Amino acid sequence: MSKRMGFPFAAVVGQEDVKQALLIMLANPKAGGVLVAGEKGTAKSSLVRALTNMVPDKKMIDLPLNATEDMIFGNIDLEYAITRGKKVFQPGLIARAHGQMLYVDEINLLRREVLTSILDTADRGVNVVEREGISYRHEARFTLIGTMNPEEGILTASVLDRFGLFASVSRETDPAARTEILRRVLAYEKDPEAFVQAYENETKELTNRLQAAQELLGTIEVSIAMIELAAQYAVKAHAAGHRAELFLIEAAKAVAALAGRNYLLPADMERAAFFVLPHRRRQEETPPPATEEQQEQPPVEQSEQDDHEDQPKPPPQPPQNAPPPDSQGQDESDPDDAKDKNEDLPRQQNDYADQERIADIDKGFSNAKLAVSLPQDRHVRQGSGKRSLTRTDRKQGRYVRSCLPNGKLTDLAFDATLRAAAPYQRLRAKGNCCITIRQEDLRQKVREKRIGNTFLFVVDASGSMGARERMRAVKGAIFSMLQDAYQKRDQVGLIAFRRQTAEVLLPVTRSVDLAQKCLQHLPTGGKTPLAEGLHTAFSVLQSMQKKEKEMQPILVLVTDGRANRSIAGNGDAIADALKAAGEIGMAGVHSVVIDTETDFIKLGVARSVAREMGSSYYCLQELSKQKILHIVKNLP
Amino acid sequence: MRTGVYPFTAIVGQDDMKLALILNVINPGLGGVLIKGEKGTAKSTAVRALADLLPAMEAVKECQFRCDPQDRHHMCEACLQKSNAAETILTQAVKMKVVELPVSATEDRVVGTLDIEHAIKCGEKKFEPGILAQANRNILYVDEINLLDDHVVDVLLDAAAMGVNTVEREGVSYSHPARFVLVGTMNPEEGDIRPQLLDRFGLSVTVTGERQSEQRVEVIKRRLAYEQDSDMFAGDFQKEQEELGNMIMQARRLLPQVTIDDELLTLVANMSIKLEVDGHRADITVIKAALALAAFDGRDKVAADDIKKAARLALPHRMRRRPFEDGVLNWDAVETMFQE
Repeated sequence: MSKRMGFPFAAVVGQEDVKQALLIMLANPKAGGVLVAGEKGTAKSSLVRALTNMVPDKKMIDLPLNATEDMIFGNIDLEYAITRGKKVFQPGLIARAHGQMLYVDEINLLRREVLTSILDTADRGVNVVEREGISYRHEARFTLIGTMNPEEGILTASVLDRFGLFASVSRETDPAARTEILRRVLAYEKDPEAFVQAYENETKELTNRLQAAQELLGTIEVSIAMIELAAQYAVKAHAAGHRAELFLIEAAKAVAALAGRNYLLPADMERAAFFVLPHRRRQEETPPPATEEQQEQPPVEQSEQDDHEDQPKPPPQPPQNAPPPDSQGQDESDPDDAKDKNEDLPRQQNDYADQERIADIDKGFSNAKLAVSLPQDRHVRQGSGKRSLTRTDRKQGRYVRSCLPNGKLTDLAFDATLRAAAPYQRLRAKGNCCITIRQEDLRQKVREKRIGNTFLFVVDASGSMGARERMRAVKGAIFSMLQDAYQKRDQVGLIAFRRQTAEVLLPVTRSVDLAQKCLQHLPTGGKTPLAEGLHTAFSVLQSMQKKEKEMQPILVLVTDGRANRSIAGNGDAIADALKAAGEIGMAGVHSVVIDTETDFIKLGVARSVAREMGSSYYCLQELSKQKILHIVKNLP
Repeated sequence: MRTGVYPFTAIVGQDDMKLALILNVINPGLGGVLIKGEKGTAKSTAVRALADLLPAMEAVKECQFRCDPQDRHHMCEACLQKSNAAETILTQAVKMKVVELPVSATEDRVVGTLDIEHAIKCGEKKFEPGILAQANRNILYVDEINLLDDHVVDVLLDAAAMGVNTVEREGVSYSHPARFVLVGTMNPEEGDIRPQLLDRFGLSVTVTGERQSEQRVEVIKRRLAYEQDSDMFAGDFQKEQEELGNMIMQARRLLPQVTIDDELLTLVANMSIKLEVDGHRADITVIKAALALAAFDGRDKVAADDIKKAARLALPHRMRRRPFEDGVLNWDAVETMFQE
């Protein structure tokens, strides 16, 4: 492949922050890797790829999203093993990146397991391979550069923390600059070689500046006062751990060196803080009420919760400095409660029962997330996503063990195949190779990876739900769960029940967008046919399971439990609902119930329904505080 | 001449779709077309017909990527070595093909994989090219792109953006050119695609079935005539086909000479700022499409009208900026900008 004539770094208009962050990294690799975040089409990857022209002694190793673990970290050399009969380590991409730069475009789309392993290696500077019958370690020091579009998914706090520097990009809003961008892109496309040549001087200047900075760097002394300043910055940002200070000092040194100075100024530290701190900033921790659920949270979930506060550029979520979710939740529920106390129940139902109204979505609702902790089974599933671990046959994911192939071999487990063939080598005739492998020796890899889940939302849209702002909050809660579902690539479906029937508004689809649209236009009004809603949900789930046996869909029921329409039309509505719930529970469907009942006199039907279904149970107010819904295995 | 391909010029109506496809073959760097619309609106017929319309192109003989012998920047490793060694490179004429990517395609089939049989029997690693390898210099057609598996979408994006497919899997480390015209179709009722992917498409068009009865009758008449005797039917359109083919080839040659005034560049920049589109791909695509439009019209200078036409094709799908957002192009705002 010929070296592409890349767009020159110096020719990129604007984006000064990203440019400086990258220059700091080149001048002083100790300042850590760089994470660049921003909307699509803002020259993120063009800037990163342009770096190679400035540092001719370093290469840019691309890590494609489709790379398999064995190729990244190294593997047994298949060719060598077969022809020479010896086990030799074949270095992976990480080994090639040693002393170079490793670039991951769309780093937030990289599989979680792979990303953690890469970051671990970067941290230790050593790649340790213990897999497929080989044990090997080699040095692996590299500068990690990642670019991402935060809309497509976010990184956890622990991942963010590993990057020394962070820079965000945004589109240019100055017409003159935009015109200049167009002019340069056109010129470049017309004749790349001439364009690159035109910027040769500027590129050379940058290279020289970098070299000078690298030389200066060793002569810069860091005074105690400067270290104290760094510590102050870190404390002010509530940065966790002590990585921040170290990165701050190294980055400040690079800033000074790039400016041609061999001493540090407070302004250097301020500039360094601009790049080092934004992704480490944490909110001041208010002592959380130590409820049982919170203590039970596994560490992974904890960090997922964190990353909402830490996420550097959260487009759909409330910004960092939004009021803490606790107080927000109170705002929504307290006035409701207060008003409810002053009104008697029958009047309220008359008021809202037959009016049809459409509540908008409360987008300020805190980010409710769904934590699914179902036990892993032996079913093989396809598809993609970022939620639950499953066995897979798509050659992705971690190699857990080998097995005899069932039909045609698709994913060769080489180590196991060799082991199977080894005992018979003396008896077999040899061809060109040292090892003769026969059909019966072949072994297949068994792999595990993450896929999305399927959530079926069953929403009570009766008149009682339309009362005041309740539906708005409900829609807000579902909307935030949908956002989580979008980022984890789940499938969703939506059923609403009101008046006489339950209606499948959206059959299960991968398009979370559609679910959001249905939700937006969902009106409330009429009676509450809870039993009907559950029946419809159950039949949808059953037909889904007929199609895909391995699917473990999760039912999310949102209701105030005030069932007042039975299946026959004149029976006991609540009894019918409990019976339907019992059937779902018996079938072993995983479910969660969100109770929206806030009236003074609580009937607690939703709680009984939850018990019958064997679901996890949450109140709506609780949800706005807690943010994570744990869905655990339903034991029928 | 193969029989069976419906002539491009015989397609009734669907002018936007036809124009968007033509612009993409005039400048394959335009970024492809996303065709939104219901079933049975001649989407795949048009794509196949377009490939058939173009004269054969020159390619390195026996190269599995059909490298262009004149284009050293986008050659595969093998061809580049030959070219560097100043070997005489044998060439052959190949037609542009439509390579289909089925929705059920797995990642390894798309990017390519290790030939296991060969590896085990001969003790030698051999790369088995995937769909992206076949797609180089061809049209990659993805029907119902919104139903494609996420992992596949990611690799598709990667390759489309870089023009290169990099493979790191199963003991194979390999990269090869993958420059293709990406044509995706989708039915919006079945859900939209991620904004990130939307933005990578250069142009988008929405197709609907013809509404007027005379037009509908004409569609059926032609279809029946074609099915009865495709050769004769093709003969009827041969002149038009040749004319269009020549126009496209002329436009390709003219394209490098087409210029654009600075005022028009500023107009496009202001348009993007006003409409608040994400990033800069929108501006760049509008300009590139306008250049191709001027070339198609045989002019060497872009007119304001070209920009307007280009904006209609390049902007609508970029208005949906975030997940969960409805994107609507405020065409009036665009119109007023042209009047000012």
